[in-house]
Amino acid sequence: MAKTQRAWYDGMLTTEDWWAVWLGLTFFVLGLLSIAGLDLVGWITYPKTWVLALPDGAIPKKIVDVTHAFYPLGAKYSQTAKAFYKGLGPIGGILVTYVVFTIATCIGAYFMKWDLKRYFVGWTFIFFLTYLVWFIGHHAFFAASVVDLKKSHFPSMFTLSLGGGASFILSLIVGLIIGNFFKPLARYLSEAAKPEWFIKTAIVFLGVKVGYLPIKAAATSTKVGHQLADLTLDLFLAGAVATIVAYLIFWPGVYTISRKIFKLPRKTAAVLASAISICGVSAAVATGGAVRSKPVVTIMVSALVVVYAVIELVILPGAFTHIWPGVSDPMVAGSAMGMSVKTDGADAAAGELLDEFMRNEIEQQSGGKIKWPEGVITVSAVMTKIWIDMFIGLWAFILALFWVYKIEKREGEKIPFSEVWHRFPKFVLGYFLAWFIYLGIFFGPGHSGAPEGMAILKAAKAGAVPVEKGMRKFFFMLTFMSLGIITDFKKLAEAQFGKMVWVYFIALFLFIIPVAIIIAYLFHHGMPIPNIAG
Amino acid sequence: MSELIQENMTITHDGRDWIAWNDQFRVAAPSLEKLDEAVRQWYMARDDIAKTKKIEVFMAFDNSAIPHWIRPFANHYFNRILKIN
Repeated sequence: MAKTQRAWYDGMLTTEDWWAVWLGLTFFVLGLLSIAGLDLVGWITYPKTWVLALPDGAIPKKIVDVTHAFYPLGAKYSQTAKAFYKGLGPIGGILVTYVVFTIATCIGAYFMKWDLKRYFVGWTFIFFLTYLVWFIGHHAFFAASVVDLKKSHFPSMFTLSLGGGASFILSLIVGLIIGNFFKPLARYLSEAAKPEWFIKTAIVFLGVKVGYLPIKAAATSTKVGHQLADLTLDLFLAGAVATIVAYLIFWPGVYTISRKIFKLPRKTAAVLASAISICGVSAAVATGGAVRSKPVVTIMVSALVVVYAVIELVILPGAFTHIWPGVSDPMVAGSAMGMSVKTDGADAAAGELLDEFMRNEIEQQSGGKIKWPEGVITVSAVMTKIWIDMFIGLWAFILALFWVYKIEKREGEKIPFSEVWHRFPKFVLGYFLAWFIYLGIFFGPGHSGAPEGMAILKAAKAGAVPVEKGMRKFFFMLTFMSLGIITDFKKLAEAQFGKMVWVYFIALFLFIIPVAIIIAYLFHHGMPIPNIAG
Repeated sequence: MSELIQENMTITHDGRDWIAWNDQFRVAAPSLEKLDEAVRQWYMARDDIAKTKKIEVFMAFDNSAIPHWIRPFANHYFNRILKIN
């Protein structure tokens, strides 16, 4: 049966984009009820850095023994049901998390007409494997920094100091092993391995994080709360301007490279230019549609995008942290990430990894004197990407007008303006709604962190933390795992992409990434992240 | 003043031809120009549509032509309108 998008509401119950909004907003609203005294999200179970047994003299502060490696976040943050969530314990918490997310995602899978049995089995496998990897990745050897060791009175020992980033890397590695060495299993799991759905949901949760940042900082001082509120709004504006500049430089540059150096046909060059320079698959599809190219061109380019995005995810966070721009300009690195990594999933995942690496690095370098709030660098990576995503509809519309009325003029053809809406990424609606509502709570009843607003801010915190910390990170973990499962590197070698592989490689690493860093530098250089070290 | 008639069709590509159809007719052609011409001729040949009338044919792309693994990234290819005077 034909699947068309005619009316503005088409796809609301059948697309992953909309289901990210429904899933994200459901838990956002449940979290918001904490203001009314109902703590309904504290069951999400979160890992701590652990060792098998604490050495003599150590205290369970930053590092705990294995029996405390997980805890429901409500056990720490709930204001009205702390005892209940404590009573769940780690195993009970994980089981409740499984049941709630299984029901929620199966409802989505049902409406999207997926094979429900395969989804359920695949989801169950991915869920528990993800929790296992989350557990392993939080072993002190991988995660603990020198500062963590010091705070827990541990003797000096060698650790990789990767923080939460270790779990993300392990998750991707495990996923890639399944995707490349256990292909029948990967094919079966593909019904539940949905990185774009998971990341879009995580981005709605990130909206809670952006709005919650000033609330969290207000606990340190009202001034820091204001600084963070201003910083997120600065990122919002700088991201928009940087994106427009990037569009204007990237697209003509890659189109010219494709046409003049590699002699690709006009339509292929246009689709490839959008894919490499804008936002990957969705830009390739939008441009393919705009220039009326045969769908096969778009499909080939999209396959390239997905594989290259994972390669970037592996290389860039470490390169940006340890080579350039490093901790002296973290927002430049985040924004450059947003302009360089071409799928939402890989970009947000790379941004999160960068956030973990950078925060660990600055804490290490300063000996614990500087501590950045979690998630600010992720926000800088995602903010740029969100603008890129939003502009794609408009860009494709303009390109379609230019192509149909100028380049390949066809008598009587008209482009409906509704195309802009059909290409608008719906999940960003959830992101902005969550952000602005929490920001409204901060500036409104929260009195910008003044003493008279602290009671409501504390109540808001109880519902926000499980969503912005626990659920967001868990959905990031699911994204890393799923990205690995669906990425088959052999596709690059097998497919007859010919020149396109090389155009992509050269344009990405010699043109897009360097220019992205320059643009990010121009618009984000010197943006300070407030120090929240106590 | 001539009356505007609005018609709906679905469009797709099968790897070789562009194909447009609705519950009244179906046409296929290797290029969009030829497809539009075939659609135009079909409407012009209809007795119930006087030549003085304007027709707008809204063609919605059948997104099932986009492989399942791409749809999460983008679930819309394009829609177009063909104006026939």
